[in-house]
Amino acid sequence: MPGSTPASATVELVRAERPRWLSAVGDFVRRRPLGAIGAAIILVMVVLAASANWIAPYDPLETDYAAMIAAPNAAHWLGTDAFGRDVLSRIIYGSRTALLVGLGAATLGATFGSLIGVASAYFGGRVDLIVQRIMDVFFAFPVIILALAVVAVLGTGAENVILAIATPMVPRCARVVRASALAVREMPYVDAARASGFRHGRIILRHMLPNVMAPILIMATAFLGEAILLEASLSFLGLGVQEPTAAWGLMLRGAAVEFAETAPWMAIFPGLAISLAVFGFNLFGDSLRDALDPRLRTQ
Amino acid sequence: MGLYILKRLLAMIPTLLGVAVLIFVLLRVVPGDVVEARFLTQGSQFQSQELMDIERKKLGLDQPLWQQFTTWMGGVLRLDFGLSMWTGSPITQEIKLRFALSLQLALMASLIAQLLAIPLGILAALKQDTWVDYAIRVFSIAGLATPSFWLGILMILTMLIVFKWVPPMVFTPLWVDPWQNLQQLIWPALAVGYRYSAVGTRMMRSAMLEVLREDYIRTARAKGLWLKLILARHALKNAILPVLTVMSLEFAFLLGGLVVTEQVFNLNGLGMLFVEAIAHRDYTLTQALVMLVATFFLFVNFFVDIAYAWIDPRIRYR
Repeated sequence: MPGSTPASATVELVRAERPRWLSAVGDFVRRRPLGAIGAAIILVMVVLAASANWIAPYDPLETDYAAMIAAPNAAHWLGTDAFGRDVLSRIIYGSRTALLVGLGAATLGATFGSLIGVASAYFGGRVDLIVQRIMDVFFAFPVIILALAVVAVLGTGAENVILAIATPMVPRCARVVRASALAVREMPYVDAARASGFRHGRIILRHMLPNVMAPILIMATAFLGEAILLEASLSFLGLGVQEPTAAWGLMLRGAAVEFAETAPWMAIFPGLAISLAVFGFNLFGDSLRDALDPRLRTQ
Repeated sequence: MGLYILKRLLAMIPTLLGVAVLIFVLLRVVPGDVVEARFLTQGSQFQSQELMDIERKKLGLDQPLWQQFTTWMGGVLRLDFGLSMWTGSPITQEIKLRFALSLQLALMASLIAQLLAIPLGILAALKQDTWVDYAIRVFSIAGLATPSFWLGILMILTMLIVFKWVPPMVFTPLWVDPWQNLQQLIWPALAVGYRYSAVGTRMMRSAMLEVLREDYIRTARAKGLWLKLILARHALKNAILPVLTVMSLEFAFLLGGLVVTEQVFNLNGLGMLFVEAIAHRDYTLTQALVMLVATFFLFVNFFVDIAYAWIDPRIRYR
């Protein structure tokens, strides 16, 4: 580092002694403070979900009719709901549902979407045209309507909700990934792979897919937050995860609205949990996009 | 241009046909039908196979699927959507008032979103990487993160406690009592508008940043032109196009996509009607609703594309 002052030279020295991953984390925190805050929120959520058994003060399903709709107090920090269940414990356990559905739906949607997108770009011509027309059909539905229709067919419950949320994400991911894959298809190495006589599947999976990973990752993180929101919406309508499972959207349903005036804690805290989680994923996703998208890097 | 418009209109036909097939098939895959759903509400003592078969015959559900589909499509071509299988009244009548409500709410929410998004986005771009920029970005990301139905619950809660205001049970249309109507719809419009403004703010910011780096802006600055004039005449005109696109597409989705917000504010819009129609297995009503929302979306999409060519002379369609 020519022209550096002695002070910054020591900083360089100290950094060199630290393990590489640690300095990478330090770099990320310094360059993208908002992204680091997002990552921290996600980390807290993951830790809460993983250690819910030990951290949560009560069993999230345990009803206590002696302490129904209790205001926040020393025993129940965030109060209790209409069945006397501890709100804090249900929020902590609810992070499991949110992460499960969010990760599940985002992974599923991004996987199928990117496979369809890359294949559509690779084959081109009539295949591409037909695939794009089919995607147009799915595009014409509002996201929640499509998810509701899938839930109606499959029924409620966590696995079906994951499928229902992944469905509207597939065409959106396919469209974005296809656009990037069109450029990759023109690359000499794809021609070379074709000339070597590799099968279509191998070219798509081994040669094209890794080169469109950046848009896929960006889409997947964007989906994560959206999937959590959508799960909350479906559960709020009673068409998502079912009682007595601890889920944030479910906690906002029924009694939380009925008794909102007298027992606002039932409505405020689960909503806060949803917002904070989605906020974290969005902040992180934004920074990831800035870091991965070369077009935006200069901005 | 004329040929392009014609081509685009024709291209809508296969998409709409696809939507029709998709929703038709999806509904028939859903377990149970409207007859079962109705008998269930009446109690099991009325339930007998013969009675149910008679009811099904009345509704045309005994016909083969292809025949049901062609009958429905024939009606759609004549803009006749038939009768609701659940209530028995004409579907156009069922939808009319709810469509007015949903459209008004979507328009109000979009207007609020644009009033927030455009100035905030410009401000964030001009003050890039300052605390103003960070604050606006956090505000908009928070908007994306907050479920609008929860924001709605909080609004109702605040008004309950502060003003002792309770959301009315019955919806007043704009033409009956404009003041009452606006009072009723302003809160859901704000809750939804804030969320959608976030999408626009972020788009406006990045589009503005891109345009501000263009040569013609530098030229205008070098000429010593007044900054406000540069922004209004040179930058905004170019940067606003993608923002308007994104916001119009969001607007198209608002029409049928406010299911949860409608539930919170006790509004009988298209979204709630859709949920009811699916729960009742009301095939005709669900199909009509889906076709309405999809057609609306395609037309908004179409008008955006046409408007593009009209606003931006660099874009020419063949």
